[in-house]
Amino acid sequence: MERIVFESVRKAFRHRPALFNWLGREQRGETVALKDVSFSAASAEILALLGPNGSGKTTALKLISTTLLPDAGAVRVGGSDARHEAGKVRRQVGIAVAAERSFFPRLSARENLDFFAALDEVSRSERAQRIQEVLRDTGLEEQADILVMKFSSGMYQRLGIARALVKRPSVLLLDEPTRSLDAGTTARFWTTIRALARQQTTVLLATHNFAEATAVADRLLLLHRGELLVDRSIGDSESAEALRAFYFRMTGEIDEAICNL
Amino acid sequence: MSSTLDKLYAILRRDLLTAVRHRSGFIVTLVGVFTELAAFYFLSRAIGPGFRPDGVEYFPFLLVGTGVYTFFLMSAQAFLRAVQEAQQTGTLEVLLTTSTAPAELVILSSISAFSGSLVNLLIYLFAGVAVFRASIHANLFSCAAVLILSLAIALALGIAAATLQVAFQKGSALLWLLGSGLWFLSGTMFPIHSLPRPLELLSRAVPLTYAIDGMRRALLEGQSLTAMAPTLAVLAGFGVVLLPLALAGLSLSLRRARRDGTLSFY
Repeated sequence: MERIVFESVRKAFRHRPALFNWLGREQRGETVALKDVSFSAASAEILALLGPNGSGKTTALKLISTTLLPDAGAVRVGGSDARHEAGKVRRQVGIAVAAERSFFPRLSARENLDFFAALDEVSRSERAQRIQEVLRDTGLEEQADILVMKFSSGMYQRLGIARALVKRPSVLLLDEPTRSLDAGTTARFWTTIRALARQQTTVLLATHNFAEATAVADRLLLLHRGELLVDRSIGDSESAEALRAFYFRMTGEIDEAICNL
Repeated sequence: MSSTLDKLYAILRRDLLTAVRHRSGFIVTLVGVFTELAAFYFLSRAIGPGFRPDGVEYFPFLLVGTGVYTFFLMSAQAFLRAVQEAQQTGTLEVLLTTSTAPAELVILSSISAFSGSLVNLLIYLFAGVAVFRASIHANLFSCAAVLILSLAIALALGIAAATLQVAFQKGSALLWLLGSGLWFLSGTMFPIHSLPRPLELLSRAVPLTYAIDGMRRALLEGQSLTAMAPTLAVLAGFGVVLLPLALAGLSLSLRRARRDGTLSFY
C-alpha cells in the first residue's frame, strides 16, 4: 500500500508588499514552490529528496506534515487527506528539520522530549523507555539532563531527530538531518534510519549529501525549480560520485568541485 | 480525557519549570506587587478616608480593580508572549505537527498561562489584605463564580490576541488597546458613573467592567450568588459569545497561515 501520495500538487507563495512599499523595494508577485508534482512512497521505502536550494524540498515535507496546505492537488498519508483530515495525518508523521532551535530552552533534553511525547499522545507508561531509546540512538544519553539552551548546533539537531522518532511515526520526514552532525553520529543515524525502514516506516529524506542518499535511500526524487525532474530507484552499487554527476547533469548546475580541479 | 489531562500536566510542568528556572523573574514579580500596592496605599491615604467609591474604602477598591485588571492583561500577555516566542524559535510549527489538535493545544496552553496570572492575583490580593490591611468581607462562592466566568472572557481575549499575532503578526496591538484604553473605561481606579454619560455607556459594553465590579461586590461586600445573579449572567453571556468567536477566529487564522506559509512569521 502507498503510504504517501502526492497527486498533481501545486504550491505557490504570494508576496504582498507592505502598504508603504515606495519606502522600500519589496518584490510583488509569487514564488511557485511546487508545480504539478506527483509521486508516491510505499511502506518501508526510503526516498532521498534532492535538489538545489529553493527547489521545493522543504515545501514538500511541510505539505506532508500539514503545516502547509496545497493550492491544488492532493496530499494523502496513510489514506488520509492532509487538507481535510490533518489530525489523522499528524498522528502518522514525525518531522525533523535542519538548524533546529524549536525547543524550550529552559527545559532539559529529556524534559523537552517528554513534553512533545505527551502532545503526541505517547502513553505515560511507555514514555520514559521510548525517550531513553531515542536518546541512546541519537547519542544524547550523557546530555539528557542538561538544559537545551546550553546545546551546540549538532546537539540541537540530534534532539530534533530524537523528537521525531519518539512518537514512532509510520512516516518520517527528515530535512537535512545530518547537516551539523559529526561522522560517528551520522553513521549511527543512517543505521537507525535503515532499521526503521525494516520496521515498515516510510522515510522521506531531503538532503544535499550524495553519500547520505546512496547510503540509505532506495529511491531518488530530484526536484528542480518546483518540478519533479527524476523519480527513479537508487541501485545498491550506485556511488555518491555517480549520483553527484547525475545530479549536475540533470539540473544543469555547475559542479564547483570539478571546476576547481 | 486522560490524554487531555496528561497534555495539560505536560504544559503546566513546562511553564512552571521555565518560570522557576528564570531565577530572578519571581523575585522581580514580588517586588513589583509590593511596590504597586504601596503606591496605591499611600495614594488612598493622601486622598483621605472621605472618598468612598461605591461605598467602600478607596484602597480595597483600588486593590480589586487593579488586581483583576492586571490579571486580565498579564494572562493575555503571557499567552501572547508564548505564541510570539514559539513563532521566533520555530516551535509553533513543530507544535502544530503533533497529534494534538490546534484548538486543544491553544486552550491547554492558555490555561497554563492563566494559572500563572491567577497565582499572581492571589498573591496581590493576599498581600493587600495581610500587609496593607485592606478590609474585605468575602463571599467565597461569589468570588469563585466571578473568577471562573471572568476566566472564560480573559481566555477569549488571549486567544484573540494570538489570532491577530498569527494572522498579522500584530497581537500586541490588541493588548496595547487594552493596556491604554480599557483600564480607563472599566472602572479600575474610579467608579464608572464618574465618567461622562457616553463613556459610561461605552464602559458598560466592556466585559472587564463587569468582572471588576463583580469581584468588588463579592470580595469587599460579600454579596451572595443570588444578589449577584444579573452581573454573573452578563459575564456568562460575554463568555458564551466571545470564547467561540475567538476560537473560530484562531482556527481561520491558522488555516490562512498554513495556506500562505506564514505560520512562523513574526
